[in-house]
Amino acid sequence: MQLRNRHGHSHKAKTPVNVDGSVPLNSLPEGSKAIVTHTSGGLCAVRRLSEMGLTPGCEITLKRKCSFRGPIEIEVRGVALALGYGLSSQIFVQPIEG
Amino acid sequence: MVHNKATLTLDSNRTVNSNAAQSKKVPRKELRIALAGNANVGKSVIFNQLTGLNQVTGNWPGKTVERAEGTLFFEGYNIRVIDLPGTYSLSAYSMEEIVSRDYLAIEKPDIIINVVDASALERNLYLTLQLLELEVPIVMALNQVDFAAKKGLRIDTQKLSETLGVTVVPTVAVTGSGINELLSAVVEQATSETKVLAHEVVYGKEIEEHIEAIETLVVSKLTQLPAIYPSRWLAIKMLEKDSDIIAKLEAYKDGHALLGLVDEIGSELETVHGETPPVIMAAERYAFASKIAKEAVTVEASPRISLEQKLASVTTHKVFGYLILAGVATVVFGAIFAGGNLLSEWLNSGLVWFSDGVAGLFASFLPSVVVDLLVNGVIGGVVAGITIALPYIVPFYVILALLEDSGYLPRAAFLMDNVMHKIGLHGKAFIPLLLGYGCTVPACIGCRIMETKRERFLAAFVVMLIPCAARTVVILGLVGRYVGLPAVIGIYLFDLVLVFGLGRIAFKVLPGEPVGLIMEMPNYKKPSAKTVVIKTWSRTKEFVYVAFPIIIVGSIIVEAFALSGLMPHFVNAASPLMTWWLGLPAVVAIPLIFGILRKELTLVLLSTALATVGLGVTSLSAVQMIVFTLVVLIYIPCLATIAACKKEFGWKKSLGIAVIDTALAVLVGGLAFRLLSLFM
Repeated sequence: MQLRNRHGHSHKAKTPVNVDGSVPLNSLPEGSKAIVTHTSGGLCAVRRLSEMGLTPGCEITLKRKCSFRGPIEIEVRGVALALGYGLSSQIFVQPIEG
Repeated sequence: MVHNKATLTLDSNRTVNSNAAQSKKVPRKELRIALAGNANVGKSVIFNQLTGLNQVTGNWPGKTVERAEGTLFFEGYNIRVIDLPGTYSLSAYSMEEIVSRDYLAIEKPDIIINVVDASALERNLYLTLQLLELEVPIVMALNQVDFAAKKGLRIDTQKLSETLGVTVVPTVAVTGSGINELLSAVVEQATSETKVLAHEVVYGKEIEEHIEAIETLVVSKLTQLPAIYPSRWLAIKMLEKDSDIIAKLEAYKDGHALLGLVDEIGSELETVHGETPPVIMAAERYAFASKIAKEAVTVEASPRISLEQKLASVTTHKVFGYLILAGVATVVFGAIFAGGNLLSEWLNSGLVWFSDGVAGLFASFLPSVVVDLLVNGVIGGVVAGITIALPYIVPFYVILALLEDSGYLPRAAFLMDNVMHKIGLHGKAFIPLLLGYGCTVPACIGCRIMETKRERFLAAFVVMLIPCAARTVVILGLVGRYVGLPAVIGIYLFDLVLVFGLGRIAFKVLPGEPVGLIMEMPNYKKPSAKTVVIKTWSRTKEFVYVAFPIIIVGSIIVEAFALSGLMPHFVNAASPLMTWWLGLPAVVAIPLIFGILRKELTLVLLSTALATVGLGVTSLSAVQMIVFTLVVLIYIPCLATIAACKKEFGWKKSLGIAVIDTALAVLVGGLAFRLLSLFM
């Protein structure tokens, strides 16, 4: 568990970067590959995502990002999956270089 | 991340010759088999191949919303086939998953055919592993092997079969290849004397210890549940905090205490792994599925970018995607309206002659009251149904079949996700909304693709405000014909504003959290003419079965009401509302009453009703026509829709919608009358 200063939280930082260097999936550009580190959010959402194959350690490709906080399309375990904006910001990934 | 290692194994020493199970299994000539598999893997196609039935198939996940049943005869066996809804898992996440697993555990079909998409083996095996956990007898149909081959994937079925301990039959459901072999395998396994059970899924050592600890508790403390479900499966589900099993346990005397113990065991595991047990278990299963898939699949050719992939890419593009969507919508509605008008005119000229002939025939030997009831009620109803509703619905179904078979619908849903979020729904709701432009009845039923009850109801509420083919007839036939195209476009745009405005209010008023979009995007494929014809035919048939009886009975009742001489009293009573508030002639109340049966009847009867007071349709002003059309568009849904809605949500909510919509129609109509009178 950790404590965070509510007022010190910068609102300008567009992409929150975690301690382990992971970033939200939807902060990546189209075409990038990444490894899932963890998913946050409600138990139900986390469970659903893991059942669709988005489990820690799995590789995904970001295929399409819709503008205006729209959904994203990813490829995970050989399947194309559409994810809403909210969900895609709850999935934290470690980008793969190259 | 520690738990990413493939720590799952399959225990192959489970070759059981259970005499207890065998003694019950005297050779019989009846078999029950169930089809289970992910959404969109060709389950419905296999079902149709097996039974020769016309279960509606489509290239979008979630269209098998109710389980379908059929029978077939094979090698002297009478085989009952049940098509379960497509699910990705057997957790308690959705109703479909609970229904499926309870069916498997409680009804215990002789064999479960696990239909698997060969081109996405890893994800499909996730369900297979859970079927193995449920300890049900499985035969695997490795479907779409042709498509997998196209992707450069070769699958070693022998290897897959050995690893899992189940018979694997490669199939190509659309061509029927492998179906006979599949049936032979099913019959052979169902009737064999020695039962070779599929291998058992064994987790990593730590998890196994926790599962075993819970299983010991389950066996010692519970009696009823282990009689239905395997005790090990129960232990796994309890560890996973499965909501359905927890609810069942809470009903028991010692259930609550037991759950407390299980929670302790679960949190112990959580501290070790740093993730919640459901995620740990899912990760373990997937890691294992991945391992099995890697062993069985050889990538022969590196996947090249095919036409389908290019199409998939361009149809979700930020700019081109929306342009294509707009183009598709224009073509679809253009084709439906143009084709519908043409068909409607042809049928009308043919059937008017028929109904006049019948009227003449009946008049020769029946009293005039009965003739009126029969001709205006029954025959008039059927004729109107055929000439008004069907010409618009059939072309719509043809185009819909093309769209869904090709795999375009999920792309449209993807593009519309953003917009749908404004009314608290996600992109999938766009599919029933689109269906609503054809007929509200299937659209209401189609709302089942939404995940939660709240979302289903919210989607159904907005779907009912979408102008169906029948209301389109009124819009085009009255406003389009006499006022002009700009007014028609204005009405459609106003309707969209209304849908989003009300959807947003309903979204704020209804309690509950919105759910995010998680949707599989299927591969594009060329729609087959056969599928399109079959689909159009079975949907049209369904529409006729649902709508026509209501139309006929309703027509008789209303005709009897008219003959009883009560109509003038009703018109008088409605007069203040009609003339003062809506600015319409009082007799217009009559077509509005008939419209409850079918919305297009309002137009048919408008001229009849006006004629009784010496007016014609053309004597209405442009404002009056627009007001009338708006009222028809919004007010009480037709009887068939209310019936469908009642089936989905119960009487209270259905009547609630009917009252709200009617009040809204009156409000909008009155305001429109006052506002439009200023300009027109």
